[in-house]
Amino acid sequence: MIEVEGLRKTYGDFPAVVGSTFDVDRGEIFGIVGPNGAGKTTTLKMIAGLVDPSAGSATVAGFDASDPEMRRSLGFLPEESPLYEDMTARSYLDFFADLYDVPGEVATERIERTLDRLELDHRDRRLGDVSKGMKRKVAIARSLVNDPDVLIYDEPASGLDPLTTNYVLEFVRELRDAGKTVLFSAHNLYHVESVCDRVAIMNRGDVVARGTVPEIRETYGTTDYRVFTSVPVEGAESAGDRHVVTVEEMAAVEAVRQRAADAGGEVVDIRTREPSLEDIFLDLAADAEPDPRGGA
Amino acid sequence: MSGRRERVRSAIRAARGGLRAVARIARWEVSRSVGVVDRRTAALGLLALLLAGAVGGAATAAGGVALDRDVYRVGVDTDSPYHEVVVETPALAARPPEVDRLGRGVEVVVADDHVYVADSRKAQAALSTFRDAVRRHNLDRLREERNESAAFPVVVTLRYAERTPDGVVAGGESGDGTGTGTGTGTEDTSGSAGDSDGTESAPSGADGSTSGSGSGADTATGAAGVDAATGSAADGPLGVPGFGGAGGLFGGSTSGSPADISPPFPFGALVLAFLFFVPMNFVIQPYGSTILNERINRRGELLLVAPVSPAAIVAGKTLPYLATLVGVTALVALAIGGSPVSVAAVAPIAALYLAATFVGGMFARSFKELTFVTVSISVFLTSYAFVPAIFTNVTPIALISPLTLVVHDLQGTGVTAAQYAFSTGPFYVGSAVLFALGVGVYREEDMFTQRSVPLKFLDALNSRLKGRKSVAVLSALAIPFVFIAELLAVAVLFVLPVEVSIPLLLVAVAAVEEVAKSVHVYAGFRGPFADRRGWKAALVLGALSGLGFFLGEKLTAVVQLVGLPDLALGRAAFSSAGIAATPAVGLLLLLAPLALHATTTSIASLGATRDRATYLAALVPAIAVHAAYNFAVVSTLG
Repeated sequence: MIEVEGLRKTYGDFPAVVGSTFDVDRGEIFGIVGPNGAGKTTTLKMIAGLVDPSAGSATVAGFDASDPEMRRSLGFLPEESPLYEDMTARSYLDFFADLYDVPGEVATERIERTLDRLELDHRDRRLGDVSKGMKRKVAIARSLVNDPDVLIYDEPASGLDPLTTNYVLEFVRELRDAGKTVLFSAHNLYHVESVCDRVAIMNRGDVVARGTVPEIRETYGTTDYRVFTSVPVEGAESAGDRHVVTVEEMAAVEAVRQRAADAGGEVVDIRTREPSLEDIFLDLAADAEPDPRGGA
Repeated sequence: MSGRRERVRSAIRAARGGLRAVARIARWEVSRSVGVVDRRTAALGLLALLLAGAVGGAATAAGGVALDRDVYRVGVDTDSPYHEVVVETPALAARPPEVDRLGRGVEVVVADDHVYVADSRKAQAALSTFRDAVRRHNLDRLREERNESAAFPVVVTLRYAERTPDGVVAGGESGDGTGTGTGTGTEDTSGSAGDSDGTESAPSGADGSTSGSGSGADTATGAAGVDAATGSAADGPLGVPGFGGAGGLFGGSTSGSPADISPPFPFGALVLAFLFFVPMNFVIQPYGSTILNERINRRGELLLVAPVSPAAIVAGKTLPYLATLVGVTALVALAIGGSPVSVAAVAPIAALYLAATFVGGMFARSFKELTFVTVSISVFLTSYAFVPAIFTNVTPIALISPLTLVVHDLQGTGVTAAQYAFSTGPFYVGSAVLFALGVGVYREEDMFTQRSVPLKFLDALNSRLKGRKSVAVLSALAIPFVFIAELLAVAVLFVLPVEVSIPLLLVAVAAVEEVAKSVHVYAGFRGPFADRRGWKAALVLGALSGLGFFLGEKLTAVVQLVGLPDLALGRAAFSSAGIAATPAVGLLLLLAPLALHATTTSIASLGATRDRATYLAALVPAIAVHAAYNFAVVSTLG
């Protein structure tokens, strides 16, 4: 549904995005994560046709990103919620529905349904007078007035309280279940891990990893083995009446087992700990190595 | 064939879609603008305006505000006929006629058929004021006479002859100054028109003999035959008054003494500028705000991602304001008796006001900066429209301002297509170019950045640079602004002696043109041509820019149509364009400007490849060469 090939953007001599390549399937939630300045927002805006790429291409629902017709298939939610605060939620959404050529009755029905689902009250109050969470919900509702196939959400939960954040993330899942394709960026890796089907990790304008979370974990993460022994061995820490050694390879586990036996004891338990996306992200951000599979 | 038809249909569909989008955005802009000001505030504002109007009207009805009220004291008996004069003159205060109090409480004393004056400067001023008051009083009394011909036995029709090239008064209208006796015989007014030496602008024009027929009433009110640009005592309600004061301006009495005859002053243009421009200043404020509002907090980003083009967004947001300005202009024109010609003359000014404000709104980083920009726009455009109109007795100069077209319209003298093109052409083309530049940066990458106004300007130029040819196109598109700047320079320098004004003008013209030709090359070397900053690229781009400017400059041939090159200053300003008094010289000079522009722009472009300081330094020799060329051409032409 979204195809990104060698997307590149430079501002003067500064490379904001150095060559993103990825694709997003229909009905998939694809997350882009990365630190500030990694090029996430620029990448999303190039895909949305807001920023002209310096090189590369992006297609959305079969349209080139620069084709104005593409925008009819797209719902875009920027990081901020820049609403016209002198308008009411209803008039604001009506206006955008009109811009997208949505017939009046269809627009009214769709807007009401979306506002009901988002539990958005105060529909006739000026947007300048409603809370930030409400504004975000209106912005999300606006991204849906044209019933787009593709949604690009830049930090959809940015600045929201935990309750509203969970609400928004749950709503994103519902959109996926309704057949929408969602591409979104986030700082919060938990959000990405809990919602996204696939992920791309960006750093310094480059895609340094991509795939499903398990794939990324398998490729880029390292599993820790916590080996519990009945006697103290070299490198062990005390853990109650036992001792524990953390190693990263099975061969090291065997070495611990041998040391415990030499000390007259034994290995009483072995536990594994999977790396979180955050662990991998931090490692990759520190290394900033390009994607070995040609993602960059 | 079917493919072509399909393309045409597709284009029509796209155009319809674009128009629908423009209409939607325009409706939305109207509803938002109305919603921004609450009704109570609007009502209070209207009330304040009405109150101010009522106070002003009451003050006017009461004889106006006299800051010098009772400043001079005149001793005069209450039975004296002069007492009434003193009482009705605000600056004078009546006191008992005691000669021994002269200098100690009174400045002037009227007693025993004598006027006594204290020995002081204030007393002299008091006497002067008193004399003027008496004269006015007498004239008023004469005007009240039923037998007008008895009160004013001689009637003179004033005609301010149009000043022909180089300040020479036209002599071809000798008959216009015919005085028309009203039964009391003849009087030779010995006019001077036609014998001027070229340095005096003799206002009389009454060089003909007087005749002993006709009626005073006819000549006193008749405007027929009076040159529209110069105006006369008997012009229409907004014509230039022949007699001093606003009475003539609004068609008041034209009877009086020769002392009341004053040289023409462009009251008409002044009033028109006020009437037409004040509403514009009110409208551009919210318009500038609505444009800047889209850029504050990235508010306009969502419109950019909607299926509408930036041009449609800008058109939709501009349309309500343009319609308002045209509507107000039409109302003002209707109120002062103008025809659609007046509206057509002022509408392009409104368009340029909006275009400049739009660009200001796109460039400004804050409302404070926007205010500065809009005030600058207002001052510049008002000056441009008003200053040339001052020269009402020099038609080509006055026609620089579209307000002169309004004066023509009001006086019923008609406006030719050439005059209309000359006056309004720069406004139309300038508006289009400014909107194009602004739309060029109406995109995510430029709208929300906090770059300074000059850098935004360079960005706007860069947005229109698509390859080398576009350098030439931009140079050509700079012509209306060059034209406006040069015409303004002509109008401003016109008052100076020719020996001073022409050299100043030649340098000013060179500077304006060199900047106009090279600034986008400088921008390009910081944008799309950044990787081609070599001397070869500089020469190529400089030559292309010179070529584009040369071709665009030919458009200024329209000045030929209204005779501006007949003026020495006009020749000086436009001679470098190859526009000369004679076709032969024009042909001779046809290619020389091309070489000039290519050379000087290349010089500036070489500097533009480096930093700003080098560019500015390179402009100096470019301007010097250009100015030297201008001097040579003007000297050749004499």
